[in-house]
Amino acid sequence: MEWLSAMNPAEGLQDALRWIVLFPLFGAAVNGLLGKRLGRANVHLVACGAVFASFVISAIALYTVSFGDVSRITDQWWRWFSIGNVPVEMSLTIDRLSAVMMCVVTGVGFLIHIFSTEYMSHDEGYWRYFAYLNLFVAAMSLLVLGSNLLVMFVGWEGVGLASYLLIGFWYTDDAKAFAGRKAFVVNRVGDFGFLLGIFTLVGLFGTIEFEQLKALSASITPDTVLEAGIFSGWTLGAAITMACLFLFLGATGKSAQLPLYVWLPDAMAGPTPVSALIHAATMVTAGVYMVARLSFLYAWSPTAMATVAVVGALTAIFAALMAYAQNDIKKVLAYSTVSQLGFMFIGVGVGAWWAAIYHLVTHAFFKACLFLGSGSVMHAMRDETDIRLFGGLRKEMWHTWATFGISTIAITGVLPLSGFFSKDAILHGAHANPNLFFPWVPTFTYAIGLVAALSTSFYMWRMFNLTFHGERRGMLEHRAHEGGNAMVGPLWVLAGLAVGSLVWGLPLSGGARFENFLKPVFRAADENIARMTALGAQKLGVPVPPPPAHDFAAMLPGYLIALVVALIGFGIAWYLYLGPGKDIPAKIAQGAPALYRAFANKFYVDEFYQAVIVAPLSATARFLWRVVDAFAIDKLVVNGSAVLTGWIAQLFRYFQDGNVQRYAVVMAVSAVVILWIFLG
Amino acid sequence: MGAAFQNLLSVVTFLPLVAAFVVLLAPEGRVSRGIAFWTSVAVFLLSLGLLWQFDPSSNAQFQLEVNVPWFESAGIGYHIGIDGVSLLLILLTTFLMPIVIASATTTIEHRQKEFAVAALVLETAMLGAFIALDMVLFYVFWELMLVPMFLIIGVWGSENRVYAAVKFFLYTMVGSLLMLVAILYMYWLTGEQGEARSFDYYAFLALEIAPQVQAWLFAGFALAFAVKVPMFPLHTWLPDAHVQAPAPGSVILAGVLLKMGTYGFYRFAFPFFPEATFEYRTLLVALSVIGIVYGSLMCLAQRDMKKLIAYSSVAHLGFVMLGLLAFTTAGVTGAVYQMLNHGVATGALFLLVGMLYERRHSREIADYGGLAKVVPAFAAIWLVVTLASIGLPGTNGFVGEFLILSGSFVSKIPGGKVWAGAAATGVILGAVYMLWLYQRMWQGKVVHEENRSLRDLTFREWGIVGPLVALIFVMGLFPSPFLGIARPSIERWVAQLEKANPALAGDPVPSNPVGERALRVEAVTGPRGAVPAVADPDSKPRAIDPQQLQQGKVRITDVVRPQVR
Repeated sequence: MEWLSAMNPAEGLQDALRWIVLFPLFGAAVNGLLGKRLGRANVHLVACGAVFASFVISAIALYTVSFGDVSRITDQWWRWFSIGNVPVEMSLTIDRLSAVMMCVVTGVGFLIHIFSTEYMSHDEGYWRYFAYLNLFVAAMSLLVLGSNLLVMFVGWEGVGLASYLLIGFWYTDDAKAFAGRKAFVVNRVGDFGFLLGIFTLVGLFGTIEFEQLKALSASITPDTVLEAGIFSGWTLGAAITMACLFLFLGATGKSAQLPLYVWLPDAMAGPTPVSALIHAATMVTAGVYMVARLSFLYAWSPTAMATVAVVGALTAIFAALMAYAQNDIKKVLAYSTVSQLGFMFIGVGVGAWWAAIYHLVTHAFFKACLFLGSGSVMHAMRDETDIRLFGGLRKEMWHTWATFGISTIAITGVLPLSGFFSKDAILHGAHANPNLFFPWVPTFTYAIGLVAALSTSFYMWRMFNLTFHGERRGMLEHRAHEGGNAMVGPLWVLAGLAVGSLVWGLPLSGGARFENFLKPVFRAADENIARMTALGAQKLGVPVPPPPAHDFAAMLPGYLIALVVALIGFGIAWYLYLGPGKDIPAKIAQGAPALYRAFANKFYVDEFYQAVIVAPLSATARFLWRVVDAFAIDKLVVNGSAVLTGWIAQLFRYFQDGNVQRYAVVMAVSAVVILWIFLG
Repeated sequence: MGAAFQNLLSVVTFLPLVAAFVVLLAPEGRVSRGIAFWTSVAVFLLSLGLLWQFDPSSNAQFQLEVNVPWFESAGIGYHIGIDGVSLLLILLTTFLMPIVIASATTTIEHRQKEFAVAALVLETAMLGAFIALDMVLFYVFWELMLVPMFLIIGVWGSENRVYAAVKFFLYTMVGSLLMLVAILYMYWLTGEQGEARSFDYYAFLALEIAPQVQAWLFAGFALAFAVKVPMFPLHTWLPDAHVQAPAPGSVILAGVLLKMGTYGFYRFAFPFFPEATFEYRTLLVALSVIGIVYGSLMCLAQRDMKKLIAYSSVAHLGFVMLGLLAFTTAGVTGAVYQMLNHGVATGALFLLVGMLYERRHSREIADYGGLAKVVPAFAAIWLVVTLASIGLPGTNGFVGEFLILSGSFVSKIPGGKVWAGAAATGVILGAVYMLWLYQRMWQGKVVHEENRSLRDLTFREWGIVGPLVALIFVMGLFPSPFLGIARPSIERWVAQLEKANPALAGDPVPSNPVGERALRVEAVTGPRGAVPAVADPDSKPRAIDPQQLQQGKVRITDVVRPQVR
């Protein structure tokens, strides 16, 4: 092992980080251009191999930044272009935060590639599928590794493209093609905010590099009135709030938060492993990652922090409610994802950065497992997704049942699986959040978070019970069968990770492991929060609140409440769907049909957007074209001036049409008139 | 050979005209086509020589200048020269022409020889307009462009071609005549203010004109250029011209002719009349932003794909105008880049439409649908070009759009943040209409039986669109070589306007509060150049070996230093 210690991975990685991006990019290119001729086995080999190679580099990077003597490594690639005097470097940085993210992206990504080899075995477009999937991994790596906002934005739009291509993978179905387009356009609304956020930071600081922004953020004084540049007259705090809110608009698009979450449920039109990878485990967490990346900036804006936390809380409860009455197994999981992302935003919005990232990681494991499990069920049940037709699948699909069950325990936050610790860390952070300017936010987010946690427990157990327990209710003649090793293997690995990742969240003395692990990354943010809190206390004339208690005894009541809430949800779901109360849901649906329909129709949000934005926009477009463009401008003014010229010309033509008799008449009449004027 | 080399600019410009005469004498068919094509290729290769002769780091405003008296008594000279911006536009023109002529062999079905003549004459006229530094010379080339384009639309166009051709001709002619009046007035002024009357660019630039007079003269120039761009509300000739023009004509029209307008603003209207420019800038900015939003909304209502692409050009050129009007290095750089991008991406779109039209003889979007199943390669290429058009990062469109929007956001345009924000909605709308178009044409099920037997791209067609698709990625990933050519010229240009009115033009300073500690990144000498790294407080200190530092092996360094202004 001597050669290993002789190597200095930190130096090697300066040139190797780019290969995390390049391997899957080449994989995408090879499969996209030649895939049809390569044959199935080779396509699988290229796609899985590329992602595995990225995973190996990511793992080495994680090891290096965890145990090596540098905690951040930058791979300087090339200078892309310059915004005036602001250089835009194509450069990649790995630190503990991005290393964790990369291992999740490529690790879970690899498992899902493996799963897909069997899941997509009946599809003739498999080579296209794997090319898109590799393209996604490449773009996501850019997003995570980018050392400035613009490289992140390249990845940001790149994953949007991959998502568009994969949602609309079966493009001959118009509804699926539309779902892809909807996802892209709604995300573009978010990207609009992201762009304006970048511009604001360029105008404010003259740099887009994360590390430079971080260095500058240490010496910020929010009340300073700016004198130079485009923000002269603003206070620095207001300008930073503007930047943060614009960037957060971007995050609401990519991470499916209110008001831009509408694309994610429709995105379930894509193949199920895609939903697992892109629309649950990785891409949709990009917004959380971005806010965490810029945590040192958000720390200076209590308004932006409160907005993030409140939007997260509202999304968490709103999406959970919508999941109550969904009967499509993937739709339940989609709304669940939206809701869990809301939890993560509560985390970053209250300054519990590590908790949000921890929940992101554990969620990636158990939600990917749940989605793959639902894929396994669909694979067994002829692509049927209606849980009302399932039931009792436990007997036919033991592996899927077991892994699905483990993941459900994890997501509902039952002790001792990982979801319990990650969700509770967020709730604890919400409770202890010292946002002096918005004193109601801690209570609000904590209360909403608890209700959302209860709802999560309820709808997840409802789905689990309806799918795997009781008696089969539909497709009675069809016998389900478990998938092969390529499908079962990833399920078990992910379930194992959902259990195993609990060790990072154990509340040992001096904070959880994961908290200490990420402390260097979030040190600047925590310091800025402390500065902002001191400033705020001074301004409002209140004492500086003490740092939140960290010992086990202080957290015990919170643990107990969270556990009780999870068990109540489980109890209700058991009572209504397996226990004696089986006929109650139907009674509710009959007794309050309007309420039930509102739930089932997702509170008519899509219809609302259609009526308020889409329809008026296309009506305006038609009006402008028909009335303003074709008629007013073109017909009236442009062609009208030509017609007018013609008329005038016709008038003058009268005087020179070569008819001598007419000339004579005109002359005679004119002469008479002139004589009459002068003589008369 | 030496003389030709010294006068490479003139050779490049007039070689197509000479070839046009040769083609005229040559027999119809392969020979005339071949002469036209290979001449345009030769012109492109020769124009690459300009790249070699041109020195971007030079301080001269124009390079490769030639200035010989022509009609000396009237003050007219053969004065030509280029800066970085005109060089890029020349390269765009010479690059597109072989593609256009090659595509004409199948899309133009009759009088191919005459078409080649018209295209070659047009090439000389366009190149001439980009190099002219004498106003008469410029005006001659400017008007010379009209004739072949008029013929291309009127002779080889679709069913309503005569109407479109006449409209195009009259519309641009009226605008140009007012510019002629302004030129003549300024010619008279040069006599008043100098020793002799002159049409020379420098003489015009040196004029001192009273603000009220400037306003009128500026209006004359601006109208001519705004029609050509076209800016809202002077755009209605464009959809008609594009719809009726044959595909190669549309490529020239969108690819190069529209840039004449923006180039005119850049070269003449803004530098000649700085006071009037600042006076009317808000109006022009407003019209540009309206053009972006309005053009995009128009696209949502179109059923004819050529009309849709034409209206998308209105939106794209709105971006270019906004970037120019920002008067910041970033904005103008983006505008120049976007001129090239639009030529490449929209040019490619029109070529693809032409190839579809050859197969199916329809421009109606509703006549297509589900084609990706039938012609997958065609669909993939269309998608790539679509993504370039909506400015996806990695393609050239992104670099241009981003520079324009950021350059105008941080500019000194009054209310620049709001205008840039309004323009940025074009980023959303662009995705809406282009992806909708993609879905209607390529996705879904095949609804028309005759579409089932469509042929995918042929080898020859790959050769035609291949270079454009390659350029989309090259320009998207490595824009620096292109931008580097134009950047010094643009910086000088911005500095001149900043000198005229420092409150309204010029690069911004960051509103950075830590003013005395303005952040500057020092370049670290190493194999890779500048490294924007800062001290890493979390790293354990590591002894740096000076030898390694010298060899550039170590690059972790503290470069944030307080700087006193």
